[in-house]
Amino acid sequence: MNPAVTGGCQCGRVRYAIHGPLFNAHICHCRMCQKAFGNLFAALAGVNKADLRWTSGEPAYFRSSSIVQRGFCPHCGTPLTFAYDHTSHMNIAIGSLDNPALAKVENQYGIEGMAPAFPALHELPGSRTEDDISAEDLRRLKSFQHPDHD
Amino acid sequence: MDKFSGGCQCGAVRFQVTGPLGNAGICHCRMCQKAFGSWGAALVSVPAKSLAWTRGQPSVFRSSAIVARGFCAKCGTPLHMHEDGDDNFELAIGVFDEPSRIGPLTEQVGVEGRVSWFKDMHLLPEQTTAETRTPQDLYKLKSLQHPDHDTDHWP
Repeated sequence: MNPAVTGGCQCGRVRYAIHGPLFNAHICHCRMCQKAFGNLFAALAGVNKADLRWTSGEPAYFRSSSIVQRGFCPHCGTPLTFAYDHTSHMNIAIGSLDNPALAKVENQYGIEGMAPAFPALHELPGSRTEDDISAEDLRRLKSFQHPDHD
Repeated sequence: MDKFSGGCQCGAVRFQVTGPLGNAGICHCRMCQKAFGSWGAALVSVPAKSLAWTRGQPSVFRSSAIVARGFCAKCGTPLHMHEDGDDNFELAIGVFDEPSRIGPLTEQVGVEGRVSWFKDMHLLPEQTTAETRTPQDLYKLKSLQHPDHDTDHWP
């Protein structure tokens, strides 16, 4: 069996392991994903519910509709999951994976909510974090984010 | 004076901004990816003095020695980041009631963390929400998301 795919929230209180494949990775532009993720669009990957184990803590859940619940870390807020009540699969937030590159996005959903700026986002001028932080801030910066491994 | 309202998915935390907004852009850094559980974040600068929490208050996680990130404790929606001593909050663009009024987006930062599919994602096959849900699900679906405007009472 392949090694588990791991991930968790920003503070590290909630951690998970997926003992199975990631499938149908996609982005979703719908207004509900925008609100839940506080973002222009969400990035999600399918997993079988039976393959997911919470290895540290557990998410809190918000029922965003009558048929869906969304999991998040109650301590730091990181959005973690999206699941229909009645399906055998669910979706994991790609940014919460320790290695987001494992999820290759294949589809766009919810395009009725697509932000007007979306098609040209990749053309905006870009810079690296270390180019935008002052030397003083770089000295003061100490990350409290959980590392990208168990 | 321009007014902008917004809040979290469940509506427990609501805010209003009165006056002009600052720069808007997107951040790909690994810390924004983790905080937003996503490809990165879309943020707009808002002077602290222009920002009022009109219902509830964000909870805060200190993601580094110099940065606090606000979120709704009841539904998890990421709401803002704020660097200690900064006169501005960086508000999450997706939580505004009318995100298309925010911008224009002028920059990408933290590009060292950019996901590989970002530059071609707009070319991927597209479907609407109605096309990807079964008729049974659409029939049963009742949104519990706060509406995109202020309300006197909720829920």
